Amino acid sequence: MSHDDHESHHVNYLAVFFALCVFTALSVVFDVLSFDNHAVTIVLVMAVAVAKALCVMMFFMHLKFEGNWKYILLAPTTILAIGLPMALMPDIGAVYYTSKSPQKGAWAAEMAEYRAHHAEHAEEQHTETHESDAEHDDEKPEAAADNAGH
Amino acid sequence: MKMGIPIPNPKLGMWLFLGTEIMFFTAFIGTYIVVRISGGADWPGPADTHIDITAGAVNTFVLIVSSFSVVMAHAAMTDKRYADARSWLWRTMILAIVFLCIKGYEYQGKFAHDILPGHIPETPVQAIAKVDRELEDVVRNRLAYYTDYEVVSVEQPDDLAVLVPQLQVFQQGGDAASESIGADEAAEYRERAASDIALYQKWKNLNEHKIANVSLAAVQSAEISSYREARSALKEGEKLPELTLGEVSTYLEELKADETYGDAVTAGVFEPHPVLYGNLFASCYFLMTGFHAIHVLVGMILFGMALQQGARLNEKWLDWVENSGLYWHFVDLVWIFLFPLLYIAS
Repeated sequence: MSHDDHESHHVNYLAVFFALCVFTALSVVFDVLSFDNHAVTIVLVMAVAVAKALCVMMFFMHLKFEGNWKYILLAPTTILAIGLPMALMPDIGAVYYTSKSPQKGAWAAEMAEYRAHHAEHAEEQHTETHESDAEHDDEKPEAAADNAGH
Repeated sequence: MKMGIPIPNPKLGMWLFLGTEIMFFTAFIGTYIVVRISGGADWPGPADTHIDITAGAVNTFVLIVSSFSVVMAHAAMTDKRYADARSWLWRTMILAIVFLCIKGYEYQGKFAHDILPGHIPETPVQAIAKVDRELEDVVRNRLAYYTDYEVVSVEQPDDLAVLVPQLQVFQQGGDAASESIGADEAAEYRERAASDIALYQKWKNLNEHKIANVSLAAVQSAEISSYREARSALKEGEKLPELTLGEVSTYLEELKADETYGDAVTAGVFEPHPVLYGNLFASCYFLMTGFHAIHVLVGMILFGMALQQGARLNEKWLDWVENSGLYWHFVDLVWIFLFPLLYIAS
């Protein structure tokens, strides 16, 4: 049985498990640290994910001790895994023109108004109707001016 | 001459299958990455998507422990310690169930906020339309009560413009349509009808304002006369102010606070919350985590079939346990990538 080949490679599974726990904790720590440039967080966290994946693949799935067939198997899948996002990136991922979608155009003004209004009411808890009426009076001319502009 | 790859056929089969599974998941994950990059700064954050990083981190830990327990089960099988192998498999099974329970809890949170593909309004106008639709459904459900129980009888019960005046006649002292309704019962129906008619009128008010796109404060009622009055007060070139989401939100809060119909409105109408790219997010989220959860279920079936053997688990099942373990490690791998992409990179 081919399993005899693997008897001599005694893997300390517990050690690999602890390494995985440390990596998981590390990725949560990176998230909590919240760097100014979010891209830094993403790169670090994805690096940790790759490290965890390698631990699982090499040791738990025993690929470190298998033959060269593992490359034949994983090469096509890796090519496709990287190729698909690369193929879609120029059309969907890279946005190199100003989006004219109506959602994005109307979004900013309306959402700002909604958020301001919502925040006020969350604090007031429906008590001061006079204040909110005054706000509506302030907002109405603005809304009317925006409509005249559109 | 040595032919072929030096592993048993079942193991080769499982690895080839895992190769296709990698392609399957990288299709979804790769697409999500591309779509997420295109969303850029406008992609919804955790406040909009109700993503709970604690639940995700716990699930990651649960799957890592289960990967460990399944590899220990395989080691026990190779050492012919079948009782140990069974207990490790049981631990894996229980951890899989815990994972699905936490996932279920997360999904429940999404459903409670109506975060489903196609359900999420992406602009304030869409949010207003959604509130109007949901309120209409509540009103229709409440009013159907009277036609179902033959309190009021109309030819087309779906036509509210015909049903509500009939209901008003009943409410103000008219007789019930069915003769089997006694005086006490009729009095209860009349009380309920009063609140349902009020709710209908509140909905109609909102609906008319939404259709005309006029602020609730500018025109106080749904009557044509007050609309004409407001318009006649306008100067040359002026327009009536538009209906805003903030107003609708306040209006909805007042409805929910009402003593008589407040509960029905709270149950039937979600808090309006427009989320740009929300539907794209929900679609990606449920597709990726849903397929992953299905794979977890399949893994549980594989373990279940081995555990079903009970004390009969022997060396014939060595390949099965090894291959189930390989499949389970793959499930863990997918989650190792899903966790940062969905929970941290948002």
